[in-house]
Amino acid sequence: MELNDSIGATEVTQNRRYSEAAEKYGFALERLGRAYEADPDKRRDLLQEIHFQLWRSLQRFDARCSIRTWVYRIAHNVAASHVIRERRTFSSLVSIEELERLPDNSRFAADDRLNLDRLAELIQKLKPLDRQVIVSYLEDMDAAAIGEITGLSPANVAMRVHRIKNILARRFHGGVGHAE
Amino acid sequence: MQNNLSGNDPRMVWQSQPREISTMTLEKMIRRRAQELHAKTVRERLGSVAGPVSVIAFSALGIAVGYNPVQRAVFAIAIGWSLAGAYVLNRGMWQGRLAEDAALATGLEFCRREIERGIYIQRRFLLWVFAPIVLAIGALVVPQVGSGFGSGGTIAKMSPFLTLFALWMIGVFVIRRMRSKQLQREIEELNDIESENRS
Repeated sequence: MELNDSIGATEVTQNRRYSEAAEKYGFALERLGRAYEADPDKRRDLLQEIHFQLWRSLQRFDARCSIRTWVYRIAHNVAASHVIRERRTFSSLVSIEELERLPDNSRFAADDRLNLDRLAELIQKLKPLDRQVIVSYLEDMDAAAIGEITGLSPANVAMRVHRIKNILARRFHGGVGHAE
Repeated sequence: MQNNLSGNDPRMVWQSQPREISTMTLEKMIRRRAQELHAKTVRERLGSVAGPVSVIAFSALGIAVGYNPVQRAVFAIAIGWSLAGAYVLNRGMWQGRLAEDAALATGLEFCRREIERGIYIQRRFLLWVFAPIVLAIGALVVPQVGSGFGSGGTIAKMSPFLTLFALWMIGVFVIRRMRSKQLQREIEELNDIESENRS
């Protein structure tokens, strides 16, 4: 009886934590899904998988890290796993360094939707770890938070963010200044 | 559709993207996901045993209708090899389901784990799936080619099959090797990132 009560209480806590996390980070998770999957149907599946794994994991949430770090780690790891499994032998993803060297002739458009598509396309070319950095940067996270999610050192995050800013500045501002 | 609301700041463009509304509740989502996961697990299990089951069926038929004891022994080895392969590969695949501690692993640790799992499966595919198939087909083909070596007629009749078989073997081998090398390169890149982290 006591064991059943305990299991019931754990599930209630898990559901409550999930509802709060989904409420607070639901939209950010949708945006994250766009960074990892271009196809809308597959993206819906990926998002569902992220939510499911998040709900499942919250049973073991022990406040060793913040709930935001927990949510983003789960989401990025599920999405990275999706990218690694979906990738075909002849497709190649690039690092931020390689992306810097790729030519891009398109310029910033007047329409947000077009720019969003271009931005998503650019992110989807990247390897999973670099995607985590760029998505976290676009979500306004600082270097410490990005480091906590990705496992990169602050110096490594700073270097990658600097490169990301350069790439975005070149592609979205026609090469003038940083994307700040 | 929004028009030029966000200026030219990529972060604003990213954060102001339209929502893809979903009306799914937690209970519905969990129920549906559990059903999908179950169906996917069954599909993946069937897919992962398709190769070994084909080899076992093919070899069992070879043992039943074959007359040469050496040929029968080779078919029996192919069956044993396939059974062992089905066990080894399944163990490798199911270890790799999203780990319980995925939230405690950083992106770097998680990517390494996933890539290492990919390398594990790539390496074992050649040894535990590809090799028993080649052995079983070889056990059928080699005695036929050997017995018809003097006449040449048998070899001529079998040449389209032998050519396709050789092309298939080369193709599988080359693709798997390329994939293994690609994964190995990615592990080396992660090693570099980790050494940058330490410096």
